[in-house]
Amino acid sequence: MAPVAVDDPGLPARFASGDPDSVRAVYQSYGRLVYAVAYKVLGDAGLAEDATQQTFVQAWRAAATYDPERALGAWLSAIARRAAIDVYRRERRHRGVEDIDTHEGTLVTQPPSVEQIYDVWEVRRALENLPDQDRELIRLQHYGELTHREIAAELAIPVGTVKSRSFRAHKRLAGLLGHLRAEPGATVARIHDAGRNADAGKGRPHGQR
Amino acid sequence: MQGRGAHMDNDDRIAYLSGNPSAPLEPDTRAELDQLRGVLADPAVWVEPPPALEDRIVTAVAQATRGEPVSPAGSATVTTIARQRRPWIPYAVLGVAAAAVLAVVLTFSLAGHAKQSAQYAASLDGTKLAPSASGQVTLTRTTSGWKIRIQGKGLPRRDGGEYYEAWLKNASGVLVPIGTFNQVDDVTLWAGVSPADFPTLTVTRQVAAKDQASSGQVVLLGVTHRTH
Repeated sequence: MAPVAVDDPGLPARFASGDPDSVRAVYQSYGRLVYAVAYKVLGDAGLAEDATQQTFVQAWRAAATYDPERALGAWLSAIARRAAIDVYRRERRHRGVEDIDTHEGTLVTQPPSVEQIYDVWEVRRALENLPDQDRELIRLQHYGELTHREIAAELAIPVGTVKSRSFRAHKRLAGLLGHLRAEPGATVARIHDAGRNADAGKGRPHGQR
Repeated sequence: MQGRGAHMDNDDRIAYLSGNPSAPLEPDTRAELDQLRGVLADPAVWVEPPPALEDRIVTAVAQATRGEPVSPAGSATVTTIARQRRPWIPYAVLGVAAAAVLAVVLTFSLAGHAKQSAQYAASLDGTKLAPSASGQVTLTRTTSGWKIRIQGKGLPRRDGGEYYEAWLKNASGVLVPIGTFNQVDDVTLWAGVSPADFPTLTVTRQVAAKDQASSGQVVLLGVTHRTH
């Protein structure tokens, strides 16, 4: 069977039909986002790898039940969250919960909410669509917790340049997140539902309750 | 973060998000943007899967298609499964388990080292009000907030309604009080704001009065920098 292009609009349908070559393409489109969901739940790289693999295996096994009209990303995200929780429970049974790294966001008593998963998914997806330079600057500033002055030293550019680039980068990021506009009181599920049809290529977590 | 994008075309909000605020924001707006900043600081947003995971997943799906057992992807799981599937070789199990425990200990030890909490530090200099004063400060991120340790010298003890107070200050001059104390030798304080946003640490002389604002009498001053 011919290789499937990552941007193939027929990818969800090919996946649903059981085309084995579509697995790699689906991974290339959604693997990092699925991994991010798993990491958000588990806070451990090795376990997140396991949960990511289980997500794709389970998705493949359930491919026949997938409706290609739905956003593939949303479907995968829901599977990823459940797979990660399963991995956590299995590890807890075998190792004892105290052995799992509880640093920074690890699931301790309750898994992250659907809304939290949604936030990570959407923000990560937006970041991946930014130019590398913008993404790196935002990473240094928020994840690296560097000040503008420290970023200037790190990148060997003037502080004023850092400030102007940072402003532009955040403005682009805001633009990419603009589709999250919602009416007051709207729920994530409603936002998701509203965006489903426009989200043929890349989905967001489904409103699992 | 619902409605996050609704106001993002406003330059003041973008400026706040980019760490260079240009105007005060409504508390609700600030809270909304702080939530987004929290997501941007989440490791899950930045972690990358190993490149080899793609091939392992394609292989695993192929195994599942053929009805074969699927090999686990994560190294931690390999340990668990090895322990489950070979109970009939006790000595080998002991050896494997010992090696696994060692590996897990090393892995978690190394992971712990790699994931050390963010830390900032600064040398503190005495101002004109206390030219002989000096000190060091370290700020360590914990789940409860920022743990701040000041070790100072050259300042007299203050009692009887007089005391010292430490502050963190951001580029806009906003002061966040982080604690009061009587002497500076070795003080542990806590802050709920990050030194990344509030990089300047000051210590002021204060007198107990109705007004709890800074006296403006700064005796120690330093700008914190990330150390790891």
